[in-house]
Amino acid sequence: MVENNEMELSEAEAEQYDRQIRLWGLESQKRLRASKVLIIGLSGLGAETAKNIILSGVKSVCLLDNEKLKEIDLYSQFLAPPDKVGENRAEASLQRARALNPMVDVTSETKSVDELPDEYFTAFDIVCATGLKQEQLERINNVCRDSNKKFLCGDVWGMYGYMFADLVDHEYSEEIVQHKAVKRGPDDTEKNARETVTITVKRRAIYVPLQNALSADWTKPELRSRLRRGDPSYFVMKILLRFRDEYNRNPDPAKRRTDTEILLRMRDELVKELSLPVGFISDALLTDVFGTVSGAAAVVGGVIGQEVVKAVSQREPPHNNMFFFNPVKCVGFVELYGQ
Amino acid sequence: MVARVAGVFDEKLTEAIANSKILVVGAGGIGCEILKNLVLTGFPQIEIIDLDTIDVSNLNRQFLFHKEHVGKSKAQVAKDSALSFNPNVNIIAHHDSVISNDYGVSYFKQFNIVMNALDNRVARNHVNRMCLAANIPLIETGTAGYAGQVELIKKGLTQCYECQPKAPQKTFPGCTIRNTPSEPIHCIVWAKHLFNQLFGEEDPDQDVSPDTADPEAAGEAGASALSSESNTAGNVERKSTRAWAAETNYNPEKLFSKLFGDDIHYLLSMENLWKKRRPPTPLNWNALPGKDDTPTQHSGLPDQRVWSVYECAQVFAASCDALQADLKRRPEGDHLVWDKDEKSAMDFVTACANIRAHIFNIPLKSRFEIKSMAGNIIPAIATANAIVAGLAVLRAQSILRGDIEACSSVYLRPKVNHRGQLFVPEKTLTPPNPKCYVCAPKPEVGLACNLKQLTLKDLTAAFKDGLNMQAPDATVEGKGLVVLSSEPGETDHNNDKTLEEIGLNDGCALLVDDFLQNYEVRVRLQQEDDEKSWRLVTDADAPKLGPKEEEKPTNGSNGANEPKPGPSRSRQDSDSDMEIIEEDEDGTIVKPPKRRRTEMSDEVVELC
Repeated sequence: MVENNEMELSEAEAEQYDRQIRLWGLESQKRLRASKVLIIGLSGLGAETAKNIILSGVKSVCLLDNEKLKEIDLYSQFLAPPDKVGENRAEASLQRARALNPMVDVTSETKSVDELPDEYFTAFDIVCATGLKQEQLERINNVCRDSNKKFLCGDVWGMYGYMFADLVDHEYSEEIVQHKAVKRGPDDTEKNARETVTITVKRRAIYVPLQNALSADWTKPELRSRLRRGDPSYFVMKILLRFRDEYNRNPDPAKRRTDTEILLRMRDELVKELSLPVGFISDALLTDVFGTVSGAAAVVGGVIGQEVVKAVSQREPPHNNMFFFNPVKCVGFVELYGQ
Repeated sequence: MVARVAGVFDEKLTEAIANSKILVVGAGGIGCEILKNLVLTGFPQIEIIDLDTIDVSNLNRQFLFHKEHVGKSKAQVAKDSALSFNPNVNIIAHHDSVISNDYGVSYFKQFNIVMNALDNRVARNHVNRMCLAANIPLIETGTAGYAGQVELIKKGLTQCYECQPKAPQKTFPGCTIRNTPSEPIHCIVWAKHLFNQLFGEEDPDQDVSPDTADPEAAGEAGASALSSESNTAGNVERKSTRAWAAETNYNPEKLFSKLFGDDIHYLLSMENLWKKRRPPTPLNWNALPGKDDTPTQHSGLPDQRVWSVYECAQVFAASCDALQADLKRRPEGDHLVWDKDEKSAMDFVTACANIRAHIFNIPLKSRFEIKSMAGNIIPAIATANAIVAGLAVLRAQSILRGDIEACSSVYLRPKVNHRGQLFVPEKTLTPPNPKCYVCAPKPEVGLACNLKQLTLKDLTAAFKDGLNMQAPDATVEGKGLVVLSSEPGETDHNNDKTLEEIGLNDGCALLVDDFLQNYEVRVRLQQEDDEKSWRLVTDADAPKLGPKEEEKPTNGSNGANEPKPGPSRSRQDSDSDMEIIEEDEDGTIVKPPKRRRTEMSDEVVELC
């Protein structure tokens, strides 16, 4: 849990964060200022997430990536300048990330997550991972979970994207506005002024780890009934995570034709494996999954950024536990998996 | 280097992007995000317009701007920052108002799509009309706190921005402000009016002295002893507040004694007002409550502490001195403009509002809260802007790909709805309202007024404020008689004549047009003896349009009180710091017209 720093905000902080303090309150801003965030994977989504979190005014952000900046990243990754292609993505992003908000301590780490010990991850209050394989995600999630640290992950493939959150055992406050009539003065019978009263309620949410969410049992009737809603976004995520695990890369725009064939084959296998209705996962969803489309990265990075703010400020109900963006219908929705 | 890497999009979209030209109106929270997405995606031709300069309170979300840019042009800095993401695109920045003859219909026609990232209704209405006239798809965006929306507007295909009437800006009756405030906001409005009376542009509608014409005070009029002082307009005939203040050299103690002592005594003499209300308590400069209070421990921002009345009086005196000094430094006849970000102006309003609140037994507020209310601040965060801008650019891509029919409105909800949806698309496009007085083939609207009282000057105001025209011209239908001309001098001599005097009567129709907006509307005049000013009469029987989603109050938990930008048609005036300050909407961005129409052309011909 992020401890609340009792030190008052400086005048500069109050000025810069004015418009958001008016939304989420001073207490949330103090909690944000005390929190340390790790962002793994400086793809377009990583850059969007980093931007939103740095702007919010957390204590520190570490950008972790062992990959080199590629031409294709420039499509959505605005923190790394185009002339730094070939350099480490995290380091290349550092300068612009710092310029976003000089009050946040931004650092970089160029090791692979596999080289880093468990303690490395638990030094942060919250970890956001993108671009990793399922096995790597599950390891970091479990390490965080054991230390009661919060974990989020997500990806954007083309225009499609998802997010997963494990906030372990999360306590938060929620503000509820009530209206009540007030009388002003003893003879005030003419018009009773209405006053809004805000009450704060404490709530609690229990999360499950990523492996539970990814191994949801679709033979169970309660999941089966979800198929009637007709949104296949969960399965698109499964297919794309499998693709990454199997080929050690994301679908490649340069191999658009052959990769589409592979994806459609993997789709057919999954449909058979989970006995899903034929045609449930349309081709259209699997043809727009190349590279990272900037607009989609902004959308999913916006959602992840907001969830980080909610998680560390312990204010407002966070999403439990998966968010999907389906670009074909332009719908974004939250579903609970693995519980 | 368009669509930088082949294969990300299909060929059709790649090519459509390569040949596109996009206009972004507004370089604020959403505008910065839209510009980033367009540039990264490789849109090759972009123009961006914003008249604003960068403020420190923008920096929590307008990420193309940094501290060293404060005070500079938003459009220009946004362009420079965005080019560093992709130097191969072409961006033209205009540090300018979009409401200008420089951006006429032919200017709009050169774009494939216009994207609105605005913060006020006046500019939104205007761009709506320009896009209708140019027949260019407009993507309209907005956010307020956690919520937001993206909406396509296309002539003939969807409803326009003005198809559904919007809730008018909240206003308060003059006598509530001047005589009988009962809420903090009444005192804040009064304090802003006072600022203008003393230091700003004097406006007779913003009188702050007791209003003896208050119908409630009428009858035997408790103030009978004083009635000889009243003129017909109900204003006590004294010197103007400004002149009086100047004579006293803005002596804070004298000002205080008049505003919070004498004027309150005067109000008390209007006995009818206090029969059912708790009467106000006049204050004496030398005996102010809170003088000997020991300061209590305060946690939170300094601005969040509520001042005592004594402290308010101190701040009143100090801010009066500072504002007066500011006014004196200016050339004769110049005035100050109230700005929530000017320290003394904000101090002055906080102090005056609270002193008046105390007098009327209304709860006092902190400077932080009063700033929100006086400045109409809509909270704004980076994430909601990023989401809305991302959705807007994805919608732009769909339009370019030829899927405009699929581009229904999308709402970003502050909390998921009962179906777990956070971004809620409408099922279909919402068709135009056939009775819309803007986008209908033959636009028409009623204007209810008292023709015996409404002057031509008031009529101009009705067309500007009510119909959101910039420079209206009006002729009598069937007669061709010019009633109003936007050419300076042509009809000004009639300004003070009533509509009846210039020969207009009940049922008579005017053809009113705005040349810049390429917009003409038929206005039917309706005589109403009781109407003090004017009001628009739209066809109330207009069919309810568009698919209505069954709107249940969010997911189990609650959230019923959150702003709901769901498919209800409530329109949020939006982006980021949309700071519509109640009454000074016009005058902010309007350039004086300097043009003459040429026949059969929508081209603007510059004179001079």
